[in-house]
Amino acid sequence: MKITLRSIVSGAALALVFAAPAVAQDFDKYVALGDSLTAGVEGNCVVERNQRASYPAVLAQQLGIEDFQQPLVQELALSDPLVGNPCLGTVFIPPSTVTVGAISQMGAPLNLSLPRPYDNLGIAGARVRDLIDLIHGNPNGTTVEANAALVLRNVPGSPFDGTNAVTQANILQPDLVSLWIGNNDVLGAALAGVVVDGVTLTPVPAFTEKYDAVNAALGGAGRTLVGANIPDVTAIPFTTTIPGILINPATRQPVIIDGHTVPLLGEGNDAFPCTPVAPDQGCPLPAGTLVTLPASALLAQGIGVPTAAGGTGQPLPDGRFVPPVMLVSGVTLYPNEVAAIVARTNELNAVIAAEIAGAGGVLVDIHAIFEDISANGYHIGGLTLTRSFLTGGIFSADGFHPSSIGYTMIADEFIKAMNSSLGTDIPRPDFSHVLFTPNVPAGGAALTDGGIWGYGMSTWKSLLETAAPAWGLAIQYPEAGRATPQDGGRGTRTVTRGDGD
Amino acid sequence: MRQRLRAPFPRVVLTLAIVGFLSSTPAFSSGFQVMTHGARATGMGLAYAGIGGDPTAIFYNPAGIGWMTHFESYVGLNFLTRTDGGVVGANPYPGAGASTNLDNQWFFFPDGYAVIPLTNELNFGIGGFAQYGLGLRWENPETASTRFVSQNAVIRSLDVNPVFSYRLFPQLSVAVGADYRFSKVQLERNQGAVNPFTGAFVDVAHVKLNSELLSNGGWGWNAGIMFKPFEALSIGAAYRSSITIDYEGTANFIQRLTGNPVFDGIVAGQLPQGEHPVTTSIKFPSSINIGAGIQLPAGFLLGLEADWTEWSTFQELNIVFPDGAAPGLDRITIWQDSWAYRAGLEKSFGQFAIRVGYYYDNTPQPDVDVGPLLADSDRNVYTAGFGYNAERFGWDLGAALIKFKQRSILTAQTDNFFGTYTETGLVLTGGLRLAF
Repeated sequence: MKITLRSIVSGAALALVFAAPAVAQDFDKYVALGDSLTAGVEGNCVVERNQRASYPAVLAQQLGIEDFQQPLVQELALSDPLVGNPCLGTVFIPPSTVTVGAISQMGAPLNLSLPRPYDNLGIAGARVRDLIDLIHGNPNGTTVEANAALVLRNVPGSPFDGTNAVTQANILQPDLVSLWIGNNDVLGAALAGVVVDGVTLTPVPAFTEKYDAVNAALGGAGRTLVGANIPDVTAIPFTTTIPGILINPATRQPVIIDGHTVPLLGEGNDAFPCTPVAPDQGCPLPAGTLVTLPASALLAQGIGVPTAAGGTGQPLPDGRFVPPVMLVSGVTLYPNEVAAIVARTNELNAVIAAEIAGAGGVLVDIHAIFEDISANGYHIGGLTLTRSFLTGGIFSADGFHPSSIGYTMIADEFIKAMNSSLGTDIPRPDFSHVLFTPNVPAGGAALTDGGIWGYGMSTWKSLLETAAPAWGLAIQYPEAGRATPQDGGRGTRTVTRGDGD
Repeated sequence: MRQRLRAPFPRVVLTLAIVGFLSSTPAFSSGFQVMTHGARATGMGLAYAGIGGDPTAIFYNPAGIGWMTHFESYVGLNFLTRTDGGVVGANPYPGAGASTNLDNQWFFFPDGYAVIPLTNELNFGIGGFAQYGLGLRWENPETASTRFVSQNAVIRSLDVNPVFSYRLFPQLSVAVGADYRFSKVQLERNQGAVNPFTGAFVDVAHVKLNSELLSNGGWGWNAGIMFKPFEALSIGAAYRSSITIDYEGTANFIQRLTGNPVFDGIVAGQLPQGEHPVTTSIKFPSSINIGAGIQLPAGFLLGLEADWTEWSTFQELNIVFPDGAAPGLDRITIWQDSWAYRAGLEKSFGQFAIRVGYYYDNTPQPDVDVGPLLADSDRNVYTAGFGYNAERFGWDLGAALIKFKQRSILTAQTDNFFGTYTETGLVLTGGLRLAF
C-alpha cells in the first residue's frame, strides 16, 4: 500500500470529523420514542395544540430541524354526545364551582397520509414492551393498540403493518434518538390505586429484557441516544393534591376537632388492617397514605369523612386486583403501596441508567429534576412554577401529564443534558411565549362531580380508559353512594371503554 | 482660633444633606457604593485618600483634615444620570432579543462637610454624604420582562460622620470617627400566577416594599492616617467599618385585575389586604482606601489609590413578612470582595486648576446574581474637573463618565433571567468651599 501525505491528511481529517464534538447542526434527523409524555398528551388528550408543544417538537425546533413530523390530531369543539376523547381543562360552573371538565375533544388525524414514519413515535399508554411487541395497531382494540394505530399506522393494508416503533425509527435513519419510556410501567398503579407486581407494576426482569431489546434494535454507528428515566409518580398532583386529613371546603384549611386534625377514612389493606369503630365503617388513614384526585367527588358526598365530622362514615375505597382479570380501582395508596411504587421506580431507573450508559447515550435524570422541583419549585424570570394542581403551571388538568410549560421545561432539560455531556451548543428554548400564552380552546362544558378539588369521577374514568396502560383487564370504579366495605364488591360497577357516566 | 470655634455651625449643610437623600442614586461605584463626594476628588479620579487638605477628606480619609487651620465648610451638589442602560434578553427567559431599557433617571444629592480646628493638633470635622445608593427602575414597568423580578429597586442612605483628627507629629495625622447611617430600601415588582383557566401566567398583584429613611439606621466607625514625609509626598490610608442595618418597613399588595372575574375573585380571596410589616437586613461592607499624593514639577499633583471593599459581607438578602402575609424571600447573593484602582492628575495655574482622572472598578457581583434587581459590572471611569481655590473661598467642578463593561449572563442565574446588560452613566458635581 502506498501511503501518501495526502491520504494521511485525509484520514486525519476524517478522524477529526468523527471525533469532533457534535454541535446543533450536526443532528440532521431526530426521532422520538416513548409514551404519552413523548406524544405530548395534556389534559388526557393529544391534539395538535398540545402536540406542537410536545417536548420532541420543542427539541426539534431548537435543533433547527424543520421537517419534524407528528401524528397530528384535529381538536374539535365539544359536542353532545362527544365523538372523541375529551380534553380536560379548568372550567367554571356558576355560581361558584371551579372544577376540571371537558373543554374540547379529539377529532380526526391530520397527517395520516405521510408516506414515511412520523418523527414523533410517542404512543400514549405504551410500556417498554410495547415498543417491541406492538407490531399490529388496532383502532378498535385496547387503548394502546388504538394509539399505535394512530402513531405507527401498523394496521392491515398499511405499508407499516407489522412494524413496531423501533423499526419505524430505524427506517428514518436518525442520528439522534430520544427514548423516554417506562413511565407506564409504574404509573398505572398510582392511577388505579392498585399496586400488584406483574399487573400494574412491570417486573424488573421483564422490563430489563424489553429495554435491552429496544436498545439493541436502536444501536447504530453515528447515532446519539438520549434517554430519560421515570419520575416519582407518587409525587405528582394526582397523588399529592388531596391530603389525608379532612379539609374545610370553604377555607381550605384543616378541620380541627378537639385540637386535632381529622384523618379521612379508608378501607385498610393487608399491611394496614382495618377494624371500624361504629358508627364509622372505615378506619383513619395512616400517616403517609396518599389520596388520589378521584377521591374528590367522593369526599364532596361525605364518603371518607367520619360521622363525627358530618360525613357518612363510609371509607374511601382502596383498589385491589381480583384474579384473573378484574381490577377494582381505588383512591387510596397506603404507605406500603407507596413504598412499593417508589422502590420499583428506583429499580427501573437503575436499569435505564445502566442501559443508556451501556449504549454510550446521555441520561436525562427527570426523576431528580422533578424531585428538585417538588422540593424547591422551578423559578424563571421571577415566576415560580410548582407541582400544584391547576395552579402550579407544570402539570396539566389531568394531574399527571405535563402542561405545555412543563414540556418546554423537559425539552430544556434534554438540551442541557446534551450540551453538558456531548459538548453541543443547542440553544435553550424561549419560555416567554409558552409562559404567557393561554393554552386552552375557547368555551367548553363542564363535568359536575369534581368536588372541592375539581376532579370528577368521569375525569378519572376518562383518563384510566385512555392514558393508563391497557392491562387487558376489566376495570371497576367506585360509585358514589354505594361504597361500603361490607358489600363484597366495595361499591363498584364495571365500566368498559366508551361507557359514559 | 477660639473665635473660629464660636462661629455658627452652618445648619444648612445637614439640612441640605437630609433633603438630598430623598433622591436615590444609581450605583456608580462597585456594587451599590457611591464615591463621588467631592468635586475636586471626582475630577482626580477619586484618588484622594493620600491628598486631603479640604473638608471632603472627611469622606475620603479623615486624617487629611489634620493640617487644616481654619474653620472650613464645603457644600457639594451632585447630579447623576444614566445615559443609557438595559438588557437584551436571551433564552430561556426573557427570550432572545427581548429588549428592556432602564429608566434614564436624573438623581440629585448634596454633600456637606465642616472642619473646626480645636487646637493646633486637634481638629473636629463632620460630614454628611450618601456612601451607598441604588436606583434601578425599568421602563414600562407593567409590561417589562423584568417586572416579576424587579420594577424598581432603591437603596438610599445618609451618613452623618463626626471625626476627630490629631497630628501626632508635624508629618503624621491620625483620625477616628463615628458613622451613623440612615437608610431606606424600596422594592417594587409584580406578582405572577398561573390562571388555571388558561394555563398561562398573568400579573395578579403589584407588591411594594418600603422602609422610611430616618427610621432605620446603624452605627459604624472610621479611621484614617496620613503621613507627609516631605513636602512633595503624602501617603494616606482610610478605613470604614461595616454597618448592619435591620430595616423595618411595610408591604402593600395591590391586585392587578386579569379580566377573568372568577380568577380575580380567587386571587382577591388570597391576596393580603392592607399594609403588612416587612423586615430585612443589609450588612454594608467595610472598606480600606490606600493612596498617595505626589507633587510633581510644574504645578502637577498626582494622586494614586487602591481601594478594597469587603463586599463579601453581602452574602444574602432575606426579606421576611413577620405576620406571614406572604412567603419570605431568601436570595443568595454571594458577593466577593472587590478592588478599585484610581489615578488622577491636577495641574495648577495659580489659583485655578484643571484635573483629569481614571479609575477601574471591579464588580463584586458574581454572574449568578446579576439580574433585573441589580446588574453590576466592571467599569472604566474617565473624569475631569476644574476649580478655583483662594485662601478663604473656592469652588470646584467635576465630571465622571462611567462606562460599564457589557456583561452577558447566559448560564446559571438566580432568577433564571438571562441576557446581556449594558449601562453608561454620567456624574456632574460641583462644590463650594468657604473658610473663616
